[in-house]
Amino acid sequence: MTKKIFRSIFLVAFIVLLACLALITGVLYDHFSEQQSAQLASQADLAAQGVENEGLGYFDGLDSGDTRLTWIAADGSVLYDTDADSDSMENHSSREEFVEAVENGRGESSRYSSTLSEETIYQAVLLSDGTVLRAAASHSTVLALLWGMFVPLLLIVAVAVALAAWLASRLSRRIVGPLNAIDLDSPLENDVYDELSPLLTRVESQKKQISSQLDELSRRQEEFSAVTDNMSEGLILLDREGIILSINPSAARIFGADSASIGRDILTLDRSPELRALMESASAGKRSEAVIERDGAEYQLSASPVLTDGVSRGTVLLAFDVTEKLRAERLRREFTANVSHELKTPLHSIMGAAELLQDGLVKSEDQQRFLGRIRSEAERLVTLVDDVIDLSRMDEGDNFPREETDLLQLARDVAGDLGPAAEKRGIGIAVGGSGGSVFGVRRLLWEIIWNLCDNAVKYGREGGHVSVSVDAAPSGGVSLSVADDGIGIPAEHRARVFERFYRVDKSHSRATGGTGLGLSIVKHAAQYHGAQIELESEEGRGTRITVIFPPRAVS
Amino acid sequence: MRNKFDEQLATLNREMISMGALCEEAIAVTARSMLDGDNSSSIDRVRALENDIDQKEREIESICLKLLLQQQPVASDLRQISAALKMITDMERIGDQALDIAETAGFMGPVEPEDAPLLGELARKVISMVTDSVDAFVRHDAEAAGTVAAKDDEADALFTRIKNSIIERISAQKGEGEYALDLLMIAKYLERIGDHATNIAEWVEFSVTGIHKGGEML
Repeated sequence: MTKKIFRSIFLVAFIVLLACLALITGVLYDHFSEQQSAQLASQADLAAQGVENEGLGYFDGLDSGDTRLTWIAADGSVLYDTDADSDSMENHSSREEFVEAVENGRGESSRYSSTLSEETIYQAVLLSDGTVLRAAASHSTVLALLWGMFVPLLLIVAVAVALAAWLASRLSRRIVGPLNAIDLDSPLENDVYDELSPLLTRVESQKKQISSQLDELSRRQEEFSAVTDNMSEGLILLDREGIILSINPSAARIFGADSASIGRDILTLDRSPELRALMESASAGKRSEAVIERDGAEYQLSASPVLTDGVSRGTVLLAFDVTEKLRAERLRREFTANVSHELKTPLHSIMGAAELLQDGLVKSEDQQRFLGRIRSEAERLVTLVDDVIDLSRMDEGDNFPREETDLLQLARDVAGDLGPAAEKRGIGIAVGGSGGSVFGVRRLLWEIIWNLCDNAVKYGREGGHVSVSVDAAPSGGVSLSVADDGIGIPAEHRARVFERFYRVDKSHSRATGGTGLGLSIVKHAAQYHGAQIELESEEGRGTRITVIFPPRAVS
Repeated sequence: MRNKFDEQLATLNREMISMGALCEEAIAVTARSMLDGDNSSSIDRVRALENDIDQKEREIESICLKLLLQQQPVASDLRQISAALKMITDMERIGDQALDIAETAGFMGPVEPEDAPLLGELARKVISMVTDSVDAFVRHDAEAAGTVAAKDDEADALFTRIKNSIIERISAQKGEGEYALDLLMIAKYLERIGDHATNIAEWVEFSVTGIHKGGEML
């Protein structure tokens, strides 16, 4: 900018200077040549006067200076010349100034001699005797004149150029200086040219707009991060090429990514066939899902293309942990299969017996036995269905009426109910403890005690002991513990015995007649009351299961 | 210009990972079918994978040549591209040999219980070598590449053990000769796949450090 202004100013100054010089030279030249002609004319007049008076004698001892005088006869022959020998000169009758002088009494002309690069001007005067006196002088041409002025001109030009340069640079700096000094951070506080104020106002308004947009952008970014950082699902944003643009902490954990993963290909995190298929369908603009396994957990991945005008601009990859869901589904499937199987077995028995009776294949003395079997299998079915109903009611979280229940009394009732079965195996049930009450569902509490005692009797040592005790727990609640001295539960099964239909010894179940749901019911009933279950067992030595009710369940 | 170059390099990288993943899948499917003795559908699957691998090899070749011709890369870029050209040859061989194993296993029928543990161990070892070498490439990790060579020694030892057990069986004149030969072939193919994985790992090391098999090449 400064340079450009400088150049323009300097160029203008230079051109003006040159033009002035040319003009002045022209005017001066005109002026000089006019003056010279006048001078020559007066000299010619003077010399004519002299020749008129003195004749040829006038020329003797005459110093004509730069002026050349020629006396020409009426016929054109040269009578005398101050600079050359008159005899050797040619006839001058055809010369322009001579012809003019003969006609008019005065004549003048100028001729340019290219060899001398000089212009010669002539003034001729007609004398009274018919002869002509001519005065000639050479006068310098423009070039010669300029040559004479060369050194002073050079000096003037140099000074002028230097001055112009200095002024131009100063001026350009003065013009540009305020522009450079504009503070763009606060455009309206500058005091510069008026012409700039619309621009500065515009800058100010755009500045405000940009900063508000930036604020908005960072706020949105924060909102987005707050949402994605705290969600448990993994979220990965990919560009069209599958390069990771952003990855939230959950996704980074799932895929084992770190901060260096951003900007890399998603395939560097996982190149399983499932993910590659997902990426392929996403880049084709289709949404798809897959389940992948990583580090023992299962994740459902869904890849959705981001479409703008039907063209894929990137992909959003969502990962959910579906390990629990798949496990629950598996359990439910197993449960359904187990229930069907458990229901079918007694029904087969009943049907078989009923068919035999119907076909009259049973001897009359065996009929009672067959009817008894039908009845006992039917009872088993009813028990099983009751258990399943109880479980599903607890699953659904039904509200049962709660009441103040004395656990010790309940335990004594259960012991009384189980008395005959225990007696059959020679097992004694002892109920003891300091006692305690729970504000809960009497039927569920009864289920807990009954199932625990029933198991203790079934799996107890023949002729052994089962002890039920109800005591105050150290935590302030009530603890109910049922211990036997039976076969115990092997360590590897302890975690699973509370699962539905889980049995330690699958072949044993028929003999003991359990449904496989007892401990599961205990677990759910305890959970319903917010109680904890502790299992201690030693193989061959016995099992103790303690249910600890929290203080809030105790009135 | 640089942008185009970077884009092409990223494409090369992605294609290489895909090809590596295809190799992993091919050998995993092969090993599973071989050990489970269920060959019916897996041979077709491996054949399809082998086709994909061959196609990927050609694609990557053309990407590499285009890069070399148009961009005239130097230094680490040149190493990466030339290493890729070498690696795809080994990957392609892995695909071929996986198919060979699947076909041989198809003729052979189920692996006998006494051979299953050793062969299974060799297969797992080789799969982990292929996975490690592809991982090393993905992460540009020269150190991880170094561990593959160590595993190759273990794979070779396993192959020797399988060979010895076959020799014992032949000298005891027990079992069918054809089964013994097929088993040896499969073990040899697996051992070769391990060698190819080692080669890949060595080229990864070269592309990262410029050192190939302990000597500076560039």
